Formats: sequence, C-alpha cells, structure tokens
Amino acid sequence: MHEMGLAIEIRRIAREAVASRGPGRIEIVRIAVGELSAVEPDLLGFAWAAAVAGTEDAASKLEVDFRPARQTCTACGEIAGRAPGSWLRLCPRCGDALTVSGGDDLDVLRVVFEESVPAGGAGS
Amino acid sequence: MIEVDVKQGVLAANAAAAATLRAKFEASGTLVVNLISSPGSGKTTLLEKTAAALKASLRLGALEGDIATERDAERLRRMGIPARQILTGGSCHLDARLVGRALAEEGPALAGLDILFIENVGNLICPTSYDLGEDFKVVLLSVTEGEDKPFKYPAIFSKAAVTVVTKTDLLPYVPFDLTAAREQVRALNPEGTLVEVSATTGAGMDAWLSLLTEKLAAKRVKKLVGAASA
Repeated sequence: MHEMGLAIEIRRIAREAVASRGPGRIEIVRIAVGELSAVEPDLLGFAWAAAVAGTEDAASKLEVDFRPARQTCTACGEIAGRAPGSWLRLCPRCGDALTVSGGDDLDVLRVVFEESVPAGGAGS
Repeated sequence: MIEVDVKQGVLAANAAAAATLRAKFEASGTLVVNLISSPGSGKTTLLEKTAAALKASLRLGALEGDIATERDAERLRRMGIPARQILTGGSCHLDARLVGRALAEEGPALAGLDILFIENVGNLICPTSYDLGEDFKVVLLSVTEGEDKPFKYPAIFSKAAVTVVTKTDLLPYVPFDLTAAREQVRALNPEGTLVEVSATTGAGMDAWLSLLTEKLAAKRVKKLVGAASA
C-alpha cells in the first residue's frame, strides 16, 4: 500500500504548482496512471481523500487518466484483447519475445485550482 | 478556476535522489544490489552465506530495510560485514532518500565498498516502484511460497534482472513445481537470469556468487573504459 505515500507526493507537487501562482484551493488534480505502474487507481483515490482531509484542498478530486501498455510481436504484430495488467513478454500465438511499450506512466498532468483572496485583501 | 499544466513524474523526487546515489556508486565503483521478496523467503540468510563466501576477497556492506527491529543488521554484522538497519516505521518500501540518509549517517563504514546489498522491506509490490540507485534488482522466491508467485506479482518478476529461487533443499517436501516457476519467470522476463539455491546446503551458491563477481567486474571494466575514453 504505497498509494498513501504517492498521494502525499502528488499533493506536494500540485501545491507547488498552485503556490507559484498565488494562494488557491485545489479543485482537480489530473494524473496519468499506466497499466504497468503498480498503482491501483481506486486505492489512490482513497489515499487522496485521506491526504487532503482537513486541508484547504479537502473538496478536491483526483482524476485518473489510465494509460494502457502496448505489446507487439515481431511476427504477429500488436497483441490485442489481452487481460488488463498483463505483463507477459511472450507472444500468446507464436511464443516469441514481445516488445512492451508504454504503460509505466505515473505523472501529474494538470492542476485546476480556485484562486483565494489573500487574508485581509479587499474583494472586488 | 485556473488550469496549470504540470507534467511532472510523481516519483521525480525519488528519481533525482536515486540519480545522485547512482553517480556516487559509479564514482566509487560499488556494485549495488536491491533485494526484494516477500517476508521470510530468505533474503538475510542468502546475504549471510554470501558474506561468509566473499568477505575475504571483497569489501561488502548492507542496508537492511524493515518496519521494526535491528535483527537483520545484527545478523550481518555477526557475519563480519558492516550493516545498517533502516527502520521505515510502517512504510512498506525503501526509497532513495532513506538510503541516502542512512549512507550519509553511516559515513566511511559503508563508503567505497565493492558490493552494497540493499535488503528491501519484505513485500513483492511496493518496493518495485522505487529506484534506489541500484545496478539491478534481485527478486527471491522460496519454494515454500508456491510456483505461481511470478504471475501473481508480475511487476517485480519482470523488472528484476535476477530471480533467485531459494530453499531448494525443501523441494522434496513441498508441492513446488520448479518447471512451472521457471516458465513463469521466463514468460515475464525473457532476458533475466534465474538461479536456484539452497543457502542451507550450499547447492547453487556458486552460480549466485559468480553472478555477483561477474556483475562487479563488468561495472569496473565499464568504468575503466569510460575513464580511458573521457
């Protein structure tokens, strides 16, 4: 269960992005999670709720952009319709070694935030 | 509402810390091995026997990751090699910052080694994602765990350059299908190396020890060639 540590790290990165543009409340953090990143998106969602609970970002949402991996056999071409999360490196048809590409993403893509008026500042 | 494009790896901070460590290990010519397995599969016992066999000819050292207790570091110190415990206090894996801090605090005792073993927290899932600046990962699979573990925990078996099947002296007593285990590992990791050992009887230990000394020699040669061409 390293999702908690990841959620805290995602919030740190998102907070940095917001802080560089003034005070604000995070609304949405969009992340990419690859099929082979060893991260369970649902667990990460729970961890996110825990990581932001009691903070100014408590109402924020973590949106996951799921990125599948691609497996290609030199003889048979791209392998379609395999089980999700499959790590097999041998072609199910001919037994040759497969090339695996992508699916290892674990990135913060975008942060959406609401600017907050600094304490003591006049509203317009 | 304001949108900001970030495009930053969630593990970027760990990757940066790992790159710093890797550069240090490169400079000192230290081979670094990150050992990962489920609890009780024999990581520390394998390291004890490795220390006994190699400590006369090579400078070895170890970092021992656990939730609690100094037991593993004490076991390796009793074998005559420097070892430091890293207590994660509940965290399920080591990260590069923990390793960097432990090495900095330990100072000369774990500096300039020939081989540094990093024994990760017993867990087949989380340690897989964290680069510690190692040369390669080793995953252990004991015959008492069952031969289906590679397919159940595919990430580590496909990422580890070396799979060590341990406790092979128990094969007559457990329903472990060694052929199936070999096939699963090969299907996940066709370029990987598989060794089968019994630390208790010593069977297969030569292959494991040769693998370590060959990897160390390869790293040293690469460094010399790099220095000569620079």
